[in-house]
Amino acid sequence: MYTQAFDIVVAGETSPVADDGDVQTAFLARIARDEKIEPQDAMPEAYRKTLIRQISQHAHSEVVGMLPEGGWITRAPSLKRKEILLAKVQDEGGHGLYLYSAAETLGVTRESLVEALHAGKAKYSSIFNYPTETWADIGTIGWLVDGAAIMNQVPLCRCSYGPYARAMIRICKEESFHQRQGFDIVRSLCEGTPAQKAMAQESINRWWWPTLMMFGPHDSDSTHTGEATDWGIKRISNDALRQKFVDVTVPQAAFLGLTLPDSAIMWNAERGHYDFGKIDWDEFWRVVKGDGPCNAARVSDRVAAFDEGRWVREAAAAHAAKSALSKASLKVAA
Amino acid sequence: MAESRLTALPESTLLTLADTCLLWGHRLSEWCGHGPVLEEDIALTNTALDLIGQARALLQLVALRRGDEVTEDALAYFREPEAFCNLMMVALPNGDYALTMARSMLLAAWFVPVWDSLAQGTDRPLANIAADAVKESRVQLRHASDWVLRFGDGTDESRRRIESALVSLWPYCDELLATTVDGTDQAERNASWRASIQATFDAATLSMPALPDAATNLLTATASASRLTLLAEMQSLARQHPGASW
Amino acid sequence: MTTEAPEAVTPLFEVFVRSKQGLDHKHVGSLHASDAQHALTLARDVYTRRQEGVSIWVVPSNAITASDPALKSDNFDPMASKVYRHPTFYDIPDEIGHM
Ligand SMILES: [Fe+2]
Ligand SMILES: [Fe+2]
Repeated sequence: MYTQAFDIVVAGETSPVADDGDVQTAFLARIARDEKIEPQDAMPEAYRKTLIRQISQHAHSEVVGMLPEGGWITRAPSLKRKEILLAKVQDEGGHGLYLYSAAETLGVTRESLVEALHAGKAKYSSIFNYPTETWADIGTIGWLVDGAAIMNQVPLCRCSYGPYARAMIRICKEESFHQRQGFDIVRSLCEGTPAQKAMAQESINRWWWPTLMMFGPHDSDSTHTGEATDWGIKRISNDALRQKFVDVTVPQAAFLGLTLPDSAIMWNAERGHYDFGKIDWDEFWRVVKGDGPCNAARVSDRVAAFDEGRWVREAAAAHAAKSALSKASLKVAA
Repeated sequence: MAESRLTALPESTLLTLADTCLLWGHRLSEWCGHGPVLEEDIALTNTALDLIGQARALLQLVALRRGDEVTEDALAYFREPEAFCNLMMVALPNGDYALTMARSMLLAAWFVPVWDSLAQGTDRPLANIAADAVKESRVQLRHASDWVLRFGDGTDESRRRIESALVSLWPYCDELLATTVDGTDQAERNASWRASIQATFDAATLSMPALPDAATNLLTATASASRLTLLAEMQSLARQHPGASW
Repeated sequence: MTTEAPEAVTPLFEVFVRSKQGLDHKHVGSLHASDAQHALTLARDVYTRRQEGVSIWVVPSNAITASDPALKSDNFDPMASKVYRHPTFYDIPDEIGHM
């Protein structure tokens, strides 16, 4: 599972509706007691809508996230790497599935969510709108992108909505090998030929900034962080997570002998953290709003798979209906 | 010690099995992320992983016997296309899901008896591989046969598609049945293959096409051209960095 | 978010997995499948990729009847006062030892 600013709301697009005060108060009291909310429980409409949006964005991110890495499965340079990559990309599909299931407990169908993705109405993590140009990108994605995603996701295992939290626990367990296999790829490249090492450095140069953007806008610019925090959906702020990510990644890059493309990175003893440079938020919003290098290709790949799969799904449904019918008539006969 | 790890089976047999699994696994892996539904995407990837795992195990046996620092990857990535010994059918492009499932059924129905008898054979290294592989092939056969049944019984469109998939694959079945695998009984294997296919065809009310005498030159040419494209892609990166490790 | 489906909705199944012989089947999640048999084969690939199970049950989601969360306290709070059902309610003299 991958998600950046879980629940990205683009200015001017739908925003949660207000609920009547009583439901809200009782509900907030439950959250304050750290109670889990389960599907049949009363919940404010705004909470339900926010969850549907966030969980489905998250699910879409997993499924769209299969594509950039999936493109390298056939070219993986060793059979071992081919197996690992296949298993990893497959896991992401599983994560999408667990999350769609969690969203469905809120009274929506997977079909309607997928439809929204295909119509360009639903968002997914914009990191997947960047192209995978080299094999090193497969390593970088695992190491940095999955690494950042894991940092985002771990706090969600404690989120207030039961089905989402349970899906996240399962997902986080499976994620644990994703980052390691990515690091392992990059490490092999760094210990390999000069060409391999150069490939790794070039890849880090391209992915570093987009990875930092995965944590979403600065806390001061995040419109819905307050609500999500009150509702027990968001536990740690975007900036805090981003800082944590920088702090763990800088020494890892140093170990590999790679340079992070930010000359402002420097240990700040006073803060006890690494300082780092300014993120290009124009680029972030451009990609979120659909103008990244691969937005169109990603959605059209998903649409193609869905459209080409339609007759398959119809055949399965028709066969199931016929079998049910003939079973029923057997029963009548008996 | 070392002796018990070496198989006595001829290399041609090992490579037929290994290359068939490898190329077939490669084809199935192309579906990853593009399956007709998410659940199916995940299921199919499991099969691809099974096949690549089988190919690796077999290639490791070949490499071990060749010695001289030959590795599974050297065999997979640096052999020339003509040196591959796969059954022709696996090299063909995936086509639609009907073709993919029909091919999986035809091949898995062939592999189940092959693994089964190798698993009971006296060649220890191969018997170990076969004992695991036969379970995987049985799951795969069930999965693919279920789909062939759904397509035959489903909608008009799915029936049309599965029929046309079978028509295009059928001529390659001749090679399947004519290929000998040392350590297994060809007649028994073919009987088992027929029985299992026939059962699915009956359930799906599909009729079994007649077997042609032998693969034509055109079929062979198509399959080799497909294999060339497949390997060009598979081997591209590894060959750009000869001697590199990954 | 609309709930109207753009195409026929594939039924939803709840999946239960027995992790080890001798343990209960436990709810692990759900999936879509055309029928129960199909759900069973898919559940194996979706929910037991890491040897999480030795047995699987699938149940159509709409076959499950759930208790009303609004009645949670009516239903379950009265059990809290029946302390005498628990062994710790009783004092056993030290001389007697374990009982
Ligand atoms: Fe994931
Ligand atoms: Fe991941």
